[in-house]
Amino acid sequence: MELKELYVTASLAQLDLSDEEAETLSALVGQMVEYFSTMREIDVENLEPTTHALLKTNRVREDAVVESAAADTLVGNAPESEGRFIVIPNVL
Amino acid sequence: MYQAFVGLEIHVQLLTKSKVFCGCRAAFGDEPNTNVCPVCMGYPGVLPTLNRQAIVQAYLVARALDCELSESAVFERKNYFYPDLPKNYQISQLGSPVGRNGRVDLDLGGSRRRVPIREVHLEEDAGKMIHAGDVSLLDYNRAGTPLLEIVTEPVLERGEEAELFLQYFRRMVRYLGVCDGNMEEGSLRCDANVSVNRPGKGLGSKVEIKNMNSSRFVKKALAFEIARQSGLLDRGAPVAQETRLWNENRDLTEAMRSKEEADDYRYFPEPDLPPFKPDAAFLLDVEKGLVELPSARRERLVAEYGLGPDQVDFIIDEKSRADFFERTVALGADPLAAASWLGSDVKRLLNREGVELAESPLTPERLAGLLVLLASGRIHGKIAKQVLEVLFAEGKDPETIIRERAWEQLIDAGAIAKLVDEAIDANEKAAAQIRAGDEKPVGFLVGEIMKATSGRAEPQLVRSVLKERLAKSR
Repeated sequence: MELKELYVTASLAQLDLSDEEAETLSALVGQMVEYFSTMREIDVENLEPTTHALLKTNRVREDAVVESAAADTLVGNAPESEGRFIVIPNVL
Repeated sequence: MYQAFVGLEIHVQLLTKSKVFCGCRAAFGDEPNTNVCPVCMGYPGVLPTLNRQAIVQAYLVARALDCELSESAVFERKNYFYPDLPKNYQISQLGSPVGRNGRVDLDLGGSRRRVPIREVHLEEDAGKMIHAGDVSLLDYNRAGTPLLEIVTEPVLERGEEAELFLQYFRRMVRYLGVCDGNMEEGSLRCDANVSVNRPGKGLGSKVEIKNMNSSRFVKKALAFEIARQSGLLDRGAPVAQETRLWNENRDLTEAMRSKEEADDYRYFPEPDLPPFKPDAAFLLDVEKGLVELPSARRERLVAEYGLGPDQVDFIIDEKSRADFFERTVALGADPLAAASWLGSDVKRLLNREGVELAESPLTPERLAGLLVLLASGRIHGKIAKQVLEVLFAEGKDPETIIRERAWEQLIDAGAIAKLVDEAIDANEKAAAQIRAGDEKPVGFLVGEIMKATSGRAEPQLVRSVLKERLAKSR
């Protein structure tokens, strides 16, 4: 895989790669991409894509509110909060 | 001259009680981070489950827009990193959305036009961020609430057309009861894509515009943007493919970020949610939600009741108002009178009191009652307006109001005759003049009788009885 492509992919995944890591990974990721191109050769004409393993029935729930018991814990899990807001460095 | 192509991307917050993939309350204005759970906060090991009401509403909108309804609606993960999205992906739809290839036919400034709808898809909304100094504050109450995205083909040509389309669309979702349509509060949001080119040359470079939180801003932003791109083309300058923000304070669009590298969201099917396949019972529920839409209702009200264009526009603007009107007519009120009262006196009082028709003391029964009293001559126009005032102030039926205040017109011939005789006795000189053939004092005597009855006597009747009395004794 081209290093440039690898860096784009890494940045989309929010990964910071060192030069050595990039070097190692480009060969490994290159192999994976090759597997995909092998799979692409398979003739899938007239085949429904299998997006899910279980396709028996629709799984839906009625529109009813379930009070969240975990809300306080979830806010408490944040490294920093102010009142009930979760606080992060300004991203604007 | 250039040709402009405008397409709209509209997001509507669906009116469900709970979020789209978990049971958290879907409400606005609650304490921050109270309506959150491991599912909408993106904790590992959780299982999202589709809200049936949300998918019903999604199909309903697709149906109302004449879309081809998907036999298998597939959810996909749209991956991007931003703090308003706790999972780092948004559950959305790409390959097999709820609806595709729909259309809306509407009047765009005088001509009937077709606006093709590319697709309707269901997704989840992101959280809210408040940027304050060197920190950003996160509130995930909105994260995971159901959001429907509707994309039109780029066939609109001017800001005014986009505004008209949006007004039509807003009215439609309110009729369907799936969204309150409040653009200022963000429950209905609109982005646009605009490109300008020489006629016949097809689409130009596509610019996306965001941050237009009213239909008026949509019109202004698009007018600005079309003029801006035309100006660039005039000078032979390239139009950058970018996202721009409408700045409502400066009345212009500003570049936000350039789209040299198109966003790569690496969509893939959401493994936790099986595709939704509507069955007959589900589609029946969708059909049940399909009400008569505003444009059809407009045509019917004109044909059935002969309403004028301005009258009918006001009546059909809100479904509840159109329902109110038809109920009033069904209760015996004259349609034109009902429309005219709703559009003038009732509207004025609602504005003054700052209430909606549905929350006001006026009901179809009361308005019909008032209009029937007026039509039968039991009260006259000026009294009717006073009755409406009292009705708003005291919340009583018109019949009760005119009884309590003795506002009913005197139309009993015997009672009028007695009043006339009294007036003749009290004003012998005027009576004599009339008997002698001078009609001038008739008005004076009628006035005296009106005064004596605080305006309740029916003036035409008084006049005719008076003339009859004085003619007879001549």
